[in-house]
Amino acid sequence: MTDATLRRQRLSFASATMRIFDLSLPQMLWSRRSVFLALVTGGPVVLALLIRAIVAARPAGALQVNGAAPSGAALYGMIVWLLYIRFIVPVLGVFYGTALIADEVDDKTITYLFTRPIPRGSVLAGKYLAYLVCTILLVLPSVVIDYFIVVPLGGRAGIGENFPALIKDLGMLAVGLAAYGAVFALVGARLRRPLVVGLVFAFGWEPGVMLFPGYVKRLTVAYYLQGLVPHAMPDESAVSAILQFFSETPTIVASLTALALITAGALWFAARAVERREYVLDQ
Amino acid sequence: MTEGTPVIQANHVSKWYGQVSGLNDVTLTIPPGVTGLLGPNGAGKSTFMKLITGQLRPSQGDVRVLGEPIWHNPALYARIGFCPEQDAFYERMTGADWVAALMRLNGVGDAEAEQRARRALEVVELSDAANKKIGAYSKGMRQRVKMAQALVHEPELLILDEPLTGMDPIARRKAIRLIRDWGRAGKSVVVSSHILHEIESMTSNILLINQGRIVAEGNVHQIRDLIDEHPHTVHVKAEQPRALAREFLSADDVLSLTFEEGAVVVQTAKPDAFYARLTHMAATGNCGAVFEVTSPDDNLQAVFEYLVK
Repeated sequence: MTDATLRRQRLSFASATMRIFDLSLPQMLWSRRSVFLALVTGGPVVLALLIRAIVAARPAGALQVNGAAPSGAALYGMIVWLLYIRFIVPVLGVFYGTALIADEVDDKTITYLFTRPIPRGSVLAGKYLAYLVCTILLVLPSVVIDYFIVVPLGGRAGIGENFPALIKDLGMLAVGLAAYGAVFALVGARLRRPLVVGLVFAFGWEPGVMLFPGYVKRLTVAYYLQGLVPHAMPDESAVSAILQFFSETPTIVASLTALALITAGALWFAARAVERREYVLDQ
Repeated sequence: MTEGTPVIQANHVSKWYGQVSGLNDVTLTIPPGVTGLLGPNGAGKSTFMKLITGQLRPSQGDVRVLGEPIWHNPALYARIGFCPEQDAFYERMTGADWVAALMRLNGVGDAEAEQRARRALEVVELSDAANKKIGAYSKGMRQRVKMAQALVHEPELLILDEPLTGMDPIARRKAIRLIRDWGRAGKSVVVSSHILHEIESMTSNILLINQGRIVAEGNVHQIRDLIDEHPHTVHVKAEQPRALAREFLSADDVLSLTFEEGAVVVQTAKPDAFYARLTHMAATGNCGAVFEVTSPDDNLQAVFEYLVK
């Protein structure tokens, strides 16, 4: 390519996004944040091993929830719901999503990306894709490990029977990571203290409004994720009791549609914010 | 862009950071070639650099680069190379990988990006360290790899923000030569520095900036014309300094005279008239031989000090 041609050359939004993705993924995978991510996703595995050890040591009624011994599948469902959906996915969304652009600004490397002939929005989109791949690569294997540790507690046959639920869980978690990541990317692109706002949203607003009936809960990501939960929870357990509060759940189609709209809308607004915002680097 | 078209035009540009003014009503035109932006730290150089690279939007006025508005115009970056001031990198990447990755954002394929990256690293004499991680680079090497990413796509306009910071004398000399060669090759360079002799060694076309204002622009002599109200000092080594002094005193433009060993130091309000008279006196030989004429005012330092006081 001649220099003159090169000066007229410009990547499409999609191509620029993929090149930013290529550049960002290794940076993200080997970042300090990924060590944190590995610790977070390792937690449920450690817990599953602990459960397995307790059951192995005292098999008869070693674990009881509200007086009933939950099956391996139910325990696994609780881990997925309480640890992954309610905690790990929002945490990862907050810490990665709000930092997509902020990290480059803090490291002062954003200048190199913003002075290349690509739309600024593609920088956000490429980094978002890198976030998604990075978190999916680390979270989903952890869920699979949990599945194979905990589900056999009800007999080895449980593994085959519950396998479709595992696949649905993996899909649901990927959708959750996509939705939370997009929402917090928007928070990061628009607000000055995105981490604080993100944490308040994920662990204040969402669990808070989910406890009340009415339409406000529709302003959460958790409400729609809940519509994708495939597990039958143990009857009369504490979890079951809590879930009674959430009896109004959307259908899977409604949930998927809403989550797709949330993801696409949040990303669009985030990219727009990045296009228009000035980034003043500290001297 | 046609030849002679200004590479940068700023029209009544101001930039405020909240209540703080970064740049104040700047109107200027930067011609093709090498132009130095000179000013003390905090003068507004970096704000100006960020405005002309489209990182900041002017609070007032407009900035055009290569004839087009720069803000929100990413296509223009294909024609501009920017070397920022900050010492910031993807530390775990090698120099070659980093420059190639940024080159890929200009729309070329992997093979061409790698080839161009190698060539750019060669230009800044960093080929030997191309496969080392940037985190292991010395300060001077980091400056050079930053320059490599700025010139890898052969831009028409190179904008360098304090590019010589941290370089050792040899690297500094090479970088200066590179910048001058770039200008000689018909490309344009805007280079900022707070060190006078750095700019002076690259170009005589300068912009002086202080407290958010352009206090002077042009070449050193044009700037000197702007400050004619300031006394201009000329040091004349001569055979008969006192005889020369008597002649000088008869002219209205001479403000003061002092004597040094074998020389007379004159302060004049009209340097051009003074030099013409001195040339005539030297030619006639009426006041003895004139050995050497120097003017500290020809040094950028003197101009700068006058203007920023």
